[in-house]
Amino acid sequence: MRISTKGRYGLRALVDLASHAQEDAVSLVHVAQRQKVSLNYLEQVFATLRKAGIVKSQKGAQGGYMLARRPEEIKVGEILGALEGSFSIVDEVRGKEGQDAIQSAIQELVWDRINRSVNEFLEQSTLAELVEQYKRLQSGEGAMYYI
Amino acid sequence: MKISTKGIYALEVAVDLAIYADNEQRMSIRSVAERRKLSEKYLERIVSMLKKKGIVKSTRGAYGGYCLARDPKEILVLDVLMAAEGDLAPVQCLTKETDCGIDCEGCATRGTWNHIWELIKNAVDSISIAQIKELAEKKQEVSGGVQ
Repeated sequence: MRISTKGRYGLRALVDLASHAQEDAVSLVHVAQRQKVSLNYLEQVFATLRKAGIVKSQKGAQGGYMLARRPEEIKVGEILGALEGSFSIVDEVRGKEGQDAIQSAIQELVWDRINRSVNEFLEQSTLAELVEQYKRLQSGEGAMYYI
Repeated sequence: MKISTKGIYALEVAVDLAIYADNEQRMSIRSVAERRKLSEKYLERIVSMLKKKGIVKSTRGAYGGYCLARDPKEILVLDVLMAAEGDLAPVQCLTKETDCGIDCEGCATRGTWNHIWELIKNAVDSISIAQIKELAEKKQEVSGGVQ
């Protein structure tokens, strides 16, 4: 079970961008350098994020990307949804009607529980929280326990 | 981020053995495969992984076959999933050293992945095979009795 590369690098790069973007757009060149991701790859990732309405681009000499909305309004679930698709711990192998008693018991006690718990968290946590946490790490205040 | 079919079937097989097999009545690969609608070959692979981790045991001979190695109350969902999937962490770098180019201490997203990993574990860490068996048997009664 893995989060894909796109989800991993994408979220990391977006937190980086959000921590450095104030009024101006941020060039992906800088994000790529700081996060050690290839520029080419980042361009693909940000094209996806732009289509999802999470970032917007600015052309020209000072061009680059910036958040399309306030980071408080951008949920982590929305970002991963754009990069990976919605979170579900298992692929639906069969429809719920096709399940026998064992499968339906596992669905209820295991998969549904995991999905509910993770999705609840993803819908609550915001990009702003990740940025704040990241800035704290960067300023050397050390890791704060993440709630 | 998914549990693979291997993990899904491993859990189904463990519950199947909890319902249909015990020390006195071992189950052949063939009968489990028929009930679970899996190929015997694939099932053999899953069962041997579970055997390696001490979740099922087997005996040879005319009355040989498989059953759970421990009381189903003591076998947790997480044990079975780990046995089948190996490492379950949503991103590799939580449990293994990886080279992503940046320092973990300054990683913008490690806290988020770690939190998701904790949520997944917490969601199922108290659920045992016995509980799934109980619910499956209840569901089976409603839909027309045990086979």
